[in-house]
Amino acid sequence: MMIATFIFVIVGLLALLSVIVLASGQTTSATVLKNPVQHLRPVDIEAFRNLIAPSEEEFLRRHLQPAEFRKVQRQRLLAAAEYVTGAARNAAILLRFAEGARRSSNAATAETAEKLIAHALRLRLYALHVVPRLYFAAMLPGASFAPVLVAERYELIVRQVVMLGLQYPTQGISAML
Amino acid sequence: MHLNLDPRAFLHPLWYYFWIAPHVLQALILYFMVRRKLHHQFPFFAVYIASEIVQFAVLYGLSHSRFHYGPVYLHSYVSFLGLSTAVRFAVIYEIVNHVLGRYPTVDEAGRHFFRFSTVLLLLLAVLLAVLMPRSQSEFILTATYSLDRAVSILQCGLLLSMFVFSRYFSLSWNSLDFGIAVGMGVFASVELATSAMWLHLGSFGNTAVNLLTMGTYHCCVLIWLFYVLKPEKVSAAVPKTLPDHDLEVWNQELQRMVRS
Repeated sequence: MMIATFIFVIVGLLALLSVIVLASGQTTSATVLKNPVQHLRPVDIEAFRNLIAPSEEEFLRRHLQPAEFRKVQRQRLLAAAEYVTGAARNAAILLRFAEGARRSSNAATAETAEKLIAHALRLRLYALHVVPRLYFAAMLPGASFAPVLVAERYELIVRQVVMLGLQYPTQGISAML
Repeated sequence: MHLNLDPRAFLHPLWYYFWIAPHVLQALILYFMVRRKLHHQFPFFAVYIASEIVQFAVLYGLSHSRFHYGPVYLHSYVSFLGLSTAVRFAVIYEIVNHVLGRYPTVDEAGRHFFRFSTVLLLLLAVLLAVLMPRSQSEFILTATYSLDRAVSILQCGLLLSMFVFSRYFSLSWNSLDFGIAVGMGVFASVELATSAMWLHLGSFGNTAVNLLTMGTYHCCVLIWLFYVLKPEKVSAAVPKTLPDHDLEVWNQELQRMVRS
């Protein structure tokens, strides 16, 4: 019983610590907003498209030895996972940024910000299951997985940021995407 | 929050302070909520605060009557604890509704996540309740604290899930929603630790644990009061600089739009 009590005390303290850390994360994001450009990572969508293109995969499969193909394909899938993670990270920053514009008194600005939030949330939701699948595909020899929707969704986000930039100070973030 | 403990002489002032002060502050919270019409936006939280005040008045009255800390007090305490626990779940539901309601894109995914988390936490709480060794002390109190521990697991887990979910999706919280969730989360996690300790310690140990719980609750009430008084930001972190015309990016985007 003593051990069980001890475990509960530790779990309780860990939970308390988690609440404090997660709650403080809510306020630290305000610092990201002060200079979003510094926190954004450029994502080369064309390179990403190339990485996940089935035709490229087919070309490599035909021209490389099976062992070499698996090695290259694993690296391509891991690189794709990195791209998706970077795009999802940018989407999170843009989400925070769009929150300010969402409260704008200008209806058009608020609407564009609302669309940006919706696209960014969809991308993060999609990334949530795409990234593990990419890692899983990288572990299995010969397995392929092409998350084409990521590129499309990211482009939609960039478009919304550009649109928002016409009505709202975006601090040059569209150039960093 | 108040505990069924006859205070030791040397801890009388602190014990009474921790018992009375949070409820005085809660009366202030209720006053400001009604004044700022926040009770329309947070009906369950207002009910929770009001029920805590009523609970305090009844239990304080009983403890100073001929019933003292006898069975009538104990049964009243347990009944109020049950009511308080139920209302706290309603408050968590209210926060979840507020946060997800602002983001229709993830509303459904969020609700699935919370349903899944609730089922998982409920299973964990039941499993722990079955597996944990039972104490030989008074049945009603042992049962109450065991239930309290299960509830703490659920409430703490649900609030942590909410924080994790909103952190992943970078969801922005209304300031009072955030304050209520932090207060509830801190209290539930401390109660999770203390409810396990309670069954294990002697009378003096329980006094110390009760004081810790009451002190934590006092801090949580202060957090709530702070967030009730804090004005909601009209526009948070809106950049003050003029639009930066990223002509090159605009040009690229226009070309892409024309092509598609």
